[in-house]
Amino acid sequence: MTGEALWSDQLRKVYESRGAPPVEALRGVSLEVHRGERVALLGRNGAGKTTFLKIASTLLRPSSGRIEIFGEDVDLRPDRVRPYIAVVPQEGKPFFHLTPREQVYTYLRARGLARETARARTESAIEQMGLESVADRLAITLSGGQRQRTMVATVIATEAPLLFLDEPSIGMDPFARRDVWDSLRELTRKGSTLLLTTHYLDEAEVLSDRLYIVEGGRVLVHGTAEELKRSVGGTLKVTLQGPGLVVEEFQGFGHCVSDGSALTVIVDPQRLAELLQIAVRRQLTAGVGPVTLEEAFLRVVGRSINAE
Amino acid sequence: MPSELPLAPSRAFRGLGAFLWTELLVQAHEWLAMATSMVVQGVLLVFVWILDPSLLPVSFLGAILFSMFTMGQRVLNEAAYLRIDHKANDLYLASPITPEGYFLGMALGILTVYVGPVLAIGLLSLWVVPYTPAIGALLVVLALSVWLFSASTGYIFSTFFRDNRAIWAYSSLFFNLFGVLFPVFYPLSLFPADLRPIALVLPPSAAAALLQSSIGAISLSEGQIALAAGALAVEVTLILFAAVLWARRTSREA
Ligand SMILES: Nc1ncnc2c1ncn2[C@@H]1O[C@H](COP(=O)(O)OP(=O)(O)O)[C@@H](O)[C@H]1O
Ligand SMILES: [Mg+2]
Repeated sequence: MTGEALWSDQLRKVYESRGAPPVEALRGVSLEVHRGERVALLGRNGAGKTTFLKIASTLLRPSSGRIEIFGEDVDLRPDRVRPYIAVVPQEGKPFFHLTPREQVYTYLRARGLARETARARTESAIEQMGLESVADRLAITLSGGQRQRTMVATVIATEAPLLFLDEPSIGMDPFARRDVWDSLRELTRKGSTLLLTTHYLDEAEVLSDRLYIVEGGRVLVHGTAEELKRSVGGTLKVTLQGPGLVVEEFQGFGHCVSDGSALTVIVDPQRLAELLQIAVRRQLTAGVGPVTLEEAFLRVVGRSINAE
Repeated sequence: MPSELPLAPSRAFRGLGAFLWTELLVQAHEWLAMATSMVVQGVLLVFVWILDPSLLPVSFLGAILFSMFTMGQRVLNEAAYLRIDHKANDLYLASPITPEGYFLGMALGILTVYVGPVLAIGLLSLWVVPYTPAIGALLVVLALSVWLFSASTGYIFSTFFRDNRAIWAYSSLFFNLFGVLFPVFYPLSLFPADLRPIALVLPPSAAAALLQSSIGAISLSEGQIALAAGALAVEVTLILFAAVLWARRTSREA
């Protein structure tokens, strides 16, 4: 095992299908994941996140460009890459006729782990994912969130050097998400490297050391969540609403985004008082809060992460 | 470093045994499917019993071969279902498990579960088929050949579908056409003479013809025996080889 955990250069993917125009899902994605890092691909639906993950995990061939995992060329030697990786697929489901305990254990055994190791890791993953009370129930009787937790348990129990998680916390309740996040952080302490995709801003912020914002098959920007927030050009956001709203009056204060009835202005704390005076004069309602990844995303991509 | 280290890359069937066990656990829940897997064979045997009991030895041997043949249909359905609905390919193929280990593990897991009812038919056939050790051994070899052929075909077919619904129609057409219409349940001698060479080179009916001749139900020339045995051996070897290569190839989408 040599080299970066993952490295890609100008990776492209065009889906060709009969009777339909080709789809350019990746238009030259270059990125790297260092060993022991947690990196998130953050992007809207259709941005190309799953496509990248499928290529990286040897399941889909790229149209051009290069990608290496621990120094091995993924496209030329998938067989050499596979022992190092494990994947939580998007919309994957556990076997319906296995229990979570059986699912995790048989998967570890199929990957070649010894019985004792497999048993111990199964128990620990079941516990970390909070699945103890349903560990012996057939997956067909579990809720969507419990099934997803079973998938995550299956994959984290491998402790593979590089883990891919495609939208790992989808369908989970807020408590379960916390458990997943904790477990994933714990894994990187044990030495695993993580590449996950998400369209949840909080997940990307809480979970990743660095993140790449992806849109239309391209990486638009990357950095830590803090760096991205700083790039917005202020540390406070003010959301203004009301019939007296005149957008032009606020454009001098900083970056403005208007979505129909409301206007969001990014400002420096020094100019906040001045801005609020105008708002009061115009009888607008104003909400003030810290800049979040949402504003960074909005500024970089030009649309909200949930916009269709 | 993480404790999971790659195994020697030379182990082509890595993961097969454990995946077989997984598939066995999964399939073992399907009690009803196991029972109903014998419906067609059972009904045909009853028909033969009513219409011409002297054909029962041939029909029993045919029922065993047909049962092994339709296991390919289960491989087809299971492989497509796991890939499309569960994304199990992503889980199992992006891992140290080899594609051929995945395919054969699944096929053997299904065989292990569904062989039970076949053994039951085999047991019943003791009353009507004049077995000798040689005939028994021939039956086992031919039954496994037919199974290997159909499991490999089933796995290859499974990779062409994007939707489970589309599979049902095709798979039942394929397996019933070659397993019921061709002389598997009835003697080759009742099949139109002009079409017999075709029956002799199609795996289920070739195996059936060899068994029918071994119990003296039909007489085959040496040339016909060589044709049936040769065709079966070549087809099984080729399709198994093709399925392993295809499993590797399709472990990545284009
Ligand atoms: N198999 C496919 N055939 C054709 N187009 C596809 C296929 N898979 C994905 N796409 C298209 O590629 C683009 C990127 O999809 P995807 O990688 O799934 O995005 P994300 O995971 O970010 O939502 C989308 O426009 C999607 O419709
Ligand atoms: Mg996706």
